[in-house]
Amino acid sequence: MEALIRLNRLGCAVRLRYGPMRRQGLCFTSAGRDLPPVSPLSVQQAAALWEQRFRQCGVSEPHLSSQHIMAHVLGAKTMASLDPVILTEVLTDIQTQKFWELCSKRLTRMPVQYVIEEWDFRDLTLKMRPPVFIPRPETESRLGSSVSGVRCLEVGCGSGAISLSLLHSLPQLSAVAVDRSQEAVCLTRENAHRLGLQDRLEVRQLDLSVDAEVILKECGPVTVLVSNPPYLFSQDMTSLEPEILRFEDPAALDGGADGMQLIRQILTLAPHLLTDEGLVYLEVDPRHPPLIQQCVEEEMTAGLQYLQTHCDITDRPRFCVLQRRGTED
Amino acid sequence: MALVGMVLCKTTLRQSVRLNCLQTHGCILKNLLVYSTGTSKSHCMVTGRTVNLAHNRHLHIRRALHVTQPTMATGVLSEEEIFKKKSLQDYLKKVETEYRDFLKSVNMPECEHLDAEIMKFRRTRVTHLAPLVEYAKNLELKLEECEETEALLKDEDPDIRELADIDMRACLEAIQDLRHKILSRLIPVDESDASDLILEVTAGVGGQEAMLFTAEVFDMYQRFAAFHGWLFEILEYMPSEIGGLRHATASISGPQSYMKMKFEGGVHRVQRVPRTEKQGRMHTSTITVVVLPQPTEINFTINAKDLRIETKRASGAGGQHVNTTDSAVRIVHIPTGVVSECQQERSQLKNREKAMQVLRAKLYSLRLEEETSKRYHARKIQIGTKGRSEKVRTYNFSQDRITDHRIGKTLHDVEEFMLGEELLEEINEALQQFSEQEALMDLLDELVSEN
Repeated sequence: MEALIRLNRLGCAVRLRYGPMRRQGLCFTSAGRDLPPVSPLSVQQAAALWEQRFRQCGVSEPHLSSQHIMAHVLGAKTMASLDPVILTEVLTDIQTQKFWELCSKRLTRMPVQYVIEEWDFRDLTLKMRPPVFIPRPETESRLGSSVSGVRCLEVGCGSGAISLSLLHSLPQLSAVAVDRSQEAVCLTRENAHRLGLQDRLEVRQLDLSVDAEVILKECGPVTVLVSNPPYLFSQDMTSLEPEILRFEDPAALDGGADGMQLIRQILTLAPHLLTDEGLVYLEVDPRHPPLIQQCVEEEMTAGLQYLQTHCDITDRPRFCVLQRRGTED
Repeated sequence: MALVGMVLCKTTLRQSVRLNCLQTHGCILKNLLVYSTGTSKSHCMVTGRTVNLAHNRHLHIRRALHVTQPTMATGVLSEEEIFKKKSLQDYLKKVETEYRDFLKSVNMPECEHLDAEIMKFRRTRVTHLAPLVEYAKNLELKLEECEETEALLKDEDPDIRELADIDMRACLEAIQDLRHKILSRLIPVDESDASDLILEVTAGVGGQEAMLFTAEVFDMYQRFAAFHGWLFEILEYMPSEIGGLRHATASISGPQSYMKMKFEGGVHRVQRVPRTEKQGRMHTSTITVVVLPQPTEINFTINAKDLRIETKRASGAGGQHVNTTDSAVRIVHIPTGVVSECQQERSQLKNREKAMQVLRAKLYSLRLEEETSKRYHARKIQIGTKGRSEKVRTYNFSQDRITDHRIGKTLHDVEEFMLGEELLEEINEALQQFSEQEALMDLLDELVSEN
């Protein structure tokens, strides 16, 4: 009892000491928890405050993090898309509370996409939830313009970004998306429902290395196979930023010693899944395209022909296109 | 001598309807004195021809006397007045001869040995000119008919007079209609009229006040777009601290959007007591509006090799190795050094598309400007196409008026005007009409100087 009283007093003392500073919104309690300020702050002030806080704590992209979270709290996508008058407006208590809560999450190095629980991919806004892989902008760029077909299989769908944006832009298409992770499958389903694309998308929890036969039997034949498989070299995994290392599913990133583990499995399976002249689109590490080409040409995966390599927006060879050879089986 | 002058003056004035008698009275008299000293009395008085001569001459002198006044303030001519111009009549005659010659050559078998290109050109030209020639012919017929009916108007029988009156009215209507058709065929079509556009507003002289007004004008155009049902998409918005606007870009698309917005380009001036002013003094500030036609894919291509696309992800490994939220994109067109950027969207691809859109518009406008200056470098007054440094319009809040300096038109009720609805549309239509007429006159002048 006495201890409790003492604790309470200590709390009072702390509050008395930091109170005025907190009221000005200039200081954070050193106790670890960041409490919202007592007096109201404007949008601009609050955003600047947290930007500074992120910077102090070595959080990456301090400015953008604070801006994106603020925009989300205000119900927009980016601050740039908002009427600038809003910058001088005072945040409501609920908004302040929310902003502080979300920014505190970011302080733990949680990626902004997980903090605000959504992100944009091409024309779509998708739900994001840890530990499901966050789609990268490289994936956005090549898609769509090249892919066509009537039925598509995606291996390792994650949040469903690729399948859903293909379905969104190609009304004739239907798709199967598989992922080994339960969370990913659930998230893809949820996103499909939110976008009203669930009728054309079948989502299955299957692992390529374990359920190869089920996939062959139940998912094929398809005209297009797309995948952004885990392609990082195992040795690079430790050097990743905390945002990725702590929050994203390592299974969606780690591609084995040469990053080719899953890629090889896909290449082996592809000829049996595809229809005649069906296509495979793979997004890989810039070091991979020559390896894949070699792999296909050395008998290992008979039935596939390497067509071409496309570069991403930064001119790195990242996309491989392969085709099933029509004549033999 | 003065009496002769007066008599002649009266005749002349009766004929030239559009001259203001009182204003020009003095100078005509003076001119006529000069004139009459050089010619015999009988000449000036009797024949219609000499009177016409005097008429032309005095018109000529009048213009010379008023040369210090801006020619742009002359206002819009009616269709009838345009048709009175000799250059137009000459042009129509020329078109008719050209049409007849080409038609003959197209239909003659012995001309078939001619170059296929030439024949093709002649054939298209014939199809193009055919309706024009027909309208002109009909117009002539109608005018003759009109004259005949005019005689009947003085008939003794009231029934005939009434009939003639009805005929006359129908005839005049038909003439009006034909004239309108001819003119609309003659007015050169602006190549980019059919395209969409990019709107850029930038605060000019006047600090915060200019920025506040920039924001208001930007809103006005947004409402103008809504008024016409156009799509208005903000591409860039750089606000100032107190709610003003430093610079903004928007893409506007919809039917006739460029045609109607192109006259908005230029320097807009505002005169009022700003919100920021504490002593109640009136300020004059300016903002710049730029309207760039947005090319469609078909009429303009950019070589991908000429572009340098800059993103945050260009450094480092990219792909699965990194997760950033920086989706800003900056595109540089290397040959011209033109730059555009966008960070409006969370998707990098979307930002790239938008930046590309702005870049295309900028490049297209560069090219267009080049062509325009080549084609029209002798043109004196420019509406919409060039003259961006020129002050085009003043918004005076204390007098509650808006004046467009290009056509000397003044409207009242600034607040209503800023709603971007009927009043803006009204001034826009006046500009449109004036610009069409100007283009037509240029065309005719060009033809005259060619001959």
